[in-house]
Formats: sequence, C-alpha cells, structure tokens
Amino acid sequence: MAAGTFDEVRAIASDILGVPATRLSGSSSPDTVENWDSVQHLNLVLALEEKFGLQLSPEEIDQMKTLGSTAQLIETKLQSSPR
Amino acid sequence: MAIVIQPYRQEHESAVQDFNRRLQGSSGDPNFVFSQSAVPRWLPPGANNPVWNEFFVAVDGPSVRGAYALKQEVIFVRGKGLHRIACYHHPLSEGIVDRSFASVGALLARDALLQQPLLYALGMGGMERSIAKMLKALGFSLTPIPFYFRVLNPAKFLREMQALRTEPWRATLMDFAAATGAGWLAIRSAQAAASLRSRSPNAGANFVVEDGVEFSGWADELWTQAKETVSFATVRDANTLRLLYPPDFASNIASTRQLRISRNGSAIGWAIIGQRRKDPKFGEMRVGSIVDCWASTENASAVIQAATQALERDGVDLIVSNQSHHVWCGAFEKAGFPKGPSTFIFAASKKLTELLQPLQENPASFHITRADGDGLPVNF
Repeated sequence: MAAGTFDEVRAIASDILGVPATRLSGSSSPDTVENWDSVQHLNLVLALEEKFGLQLSPEEIDQMKTLGSTAQLIETKLQSSPR
Repeated sequence: MAIVIQPYRQEHESAVQDFNRRLQGSSGDPNFVFSQSAVPRWLPPGANNPVWNEFFVAVDGPSVRGAYALKQEVIFVRGKGLHRIACYHHPLSEGIVDRSFASVGALLARDALLQQPLLYALGMGGMERSIAKMLKALGFSLTPIPFYFRVLNPAKFLREMQALRTEPWRATLMDFAAATGAGWLAIRSAQAAASLRSRSPNAGANFVVEDGVEFSGWADELWTQAKETVSFATVRDANTLRLLYPPDFASNIASTRQLRISRNGSAIGWAIIGQRRKDPKFGEMRVGSIVDCWASTENASAVIQAATQALERDGVDLIVSNQSHHVWCGAFEKAGFPKGPSTFIFAASKKLTELLQPLQENPASFHITRADGDGLPVNF
C-alpha cells in the first residue's frame, strides 16, 4: 500500500476522531480508539467518500475494520477507478 | 465474514433472540430489543394495505448484528399530492455494546435510504442521541416537534417526576412544594396563564364525544375536509386509520381509545388517547397521552378539550402530547397545556426535504403527532 494513501486516510481519521495522527496506526480500530463509535464511523465513511470522490458499498463499509484495512480498501478502489 | 442486510425471515428469529440477549446483557437497557417475530405484530404487510411495517436484519454468518424497521406509508403534500415514503425506526446495532461492530449503524441507515430515499425518522430522544447525529451526517434535516403537557395531579407530579428530580436540592424543594401546596398553586397558575394567553371567544364547546366508534365514511369526510389546511401529513383516511388502530388494538397492542367528536349530529373530529406504559422518568404517575387528532382548524380546540376531559375522567396525573401544526399547538395552549422542551425530533432525508420544499421552511404547517413514525404501539 502506498504511504500517501494511508497518510491521507489517517489525516481524515485524525480530524474526525479528534486524535493526533501520530497516535493512529494501521491497526487502529473502533476497539482501540475511544472516540471511534458508530456515529464517527459513519462520519469517516462520508469524509472518505467526499475526499476521494468515490462511493463505498455496504460490503466495503463492513471491511473498514482497521485504519490499515480502510486505507487498503481506498487504494484498491482508486486503482480500479482512477481519479 | 461480511455483514449482509436481508429482509427479516422466520429463520432469523433465533439469531435475533441471541442478538437481543447480547444487547440487553451488555447494556442493561430493556429498550434495546428488536422484534422476536419476523412478522410485525402491528401493521403487518397485507395485500393492498396502504401502510405496513417491514423488518430487516444485518446478518453476519449465523449471527444477527443489527436490525431496523421501515414503516411504509403514504403522505399528503399540499400542492404535490400523495407520495409513498417510509419511516426508519427501531435501528439497533451491536456497535452499541461492541465497538467491533461500529460499522453496523452506518450500514443500517444507508440500506434504509437505498430501500426508500424518501425517508424520515421521528422521536429519537433528542438531537444529541447517536441516531439523530447519524441522520444529520447523512444530510437529514432535523426539526423538534413541540411538546405539550398538562399536570392534573401537581402533588404527585412534584414527587414522581424523576426527570426533574436530578439534584438532591431540587428533589427536596419539590417535596416541600408538594407538601405545602405551593407547587399546586404554581403549576395551576402556569397552566391557567397558558390558557388565558391564547383563549379566544370561539374556544370549542357544545360537542358530543363517543368512544370506540369505528373509522368509516365520516372519517374519510374529515380527512378530505381538513387535509388542505396542512402542508404535510401522513394519510389519515378511514382505511388507513382502521389499519393503524384495528379493533383489537387496545386489548392486544396498546391501551388506546378512539374518540369521535360531533356537533349538531355531525362528526367534527377525532382523537386517539391512551395511557403510556410505565416509564422510570415519570415514576409512579399515570401518564395520559393525546396520541393523534384530526379536524378542520376551527374544530381543533373542541377535539383537544374533548380528549383532555376524557383523560381527566380516566384519572391520569399528567397528560402529554407532541404536535407540530400551529393551529393544534394553539388548541393545546387554549386547553391549558404549557409548552415544554422537546426531544421528539422529525428528521427528513435529503430527498424528502426536497419534496417538502418550500414547505420545509415552515414546519409549523406540518401535521405531525405522537402517532406518526414509530409512535405506536409502545412509545406514545
């Protein structure tokens, strides 16, 4: 996975979850980040869709278990439909 | 395994029971429970029914991780006719008790929007609740529906109203007010002032009230006569009302009564009243509710007076109602109901908000009551 995509996803998550980006890693998840509840998860989905100009399906939203898997998902989608 | 949202079928019922057990076990909240039956007890789907409930579950292999309900119904929008829309209600996610399932709430709300873009939700307990925040994030417009109350037993109200007794000093003061009669005087004065402020010489009178009359042609006439006085309402014709309040409703589903109000031998309106289920925030009080009502604007006061008097005769300690339409709000004020802070929120999806434009800018002309949305059978 390109570091650029992960950094962009991490910056968005940092903003939404109110957590410094330095405290977020690829393994960060709702289980490890206190503010990452269902409302913030939805906000993260909507922010990613807006930032990257894509639509996440229910199956893809369900794949967003960690920040790393989220970044991987975004990168895969970007590669399949380049901006 | 990926979570998939499916229509709730009988084969999911045992997994829903397990889901309920996990939610209640971890949260301790008895309200976190989804229907154990795949077939809705209230408003089951039926051939040619204009209004019905349908359930969906978020299936994760052998487990259910979330569920929601859609109440499919028809609305009248002044100048735009009839439209089929849906109410999104009872969304429940395992994310409430297990952050691993934080995505489920988003999946449920998005699935509901895919099913019916003309979507709304009602109630929710306030703007700060998770469901309201999620819907706002999805672009829903949120409007509080005014809340009205009338205290009939001030001493009991002061002793039992748990929501107001949050601080020890406040509880002591309320006990003192109840014991000395000062609270009685203050509450009666406030209600009288509310009534006087809005009293008009035509405040309804000379009406006859009948209990338990079946909705039929007379209700159709009232619907037709009054619908143009509102800018938006769910359809309340006789066919729909018979489904909303079936003959076995009171005995099997919720303790409500339907009142027909007449003057000079003609029906002028109707109201649905009932006693709310026990709720810790009301303590041991018997709480009556004016759940729903319909009439031409000139007869709104008579209908609210009739409903209030019927609940007074039932011996309730407090009457509550939510009403959006300014004429009905005025009728409540004339009947001595002060307005209180509302946590009953109307949330309209982007598409529904577009449909309601420019009416959305004046929600005081909407006719929304406690009976709309998921207001029945247990939450009125």
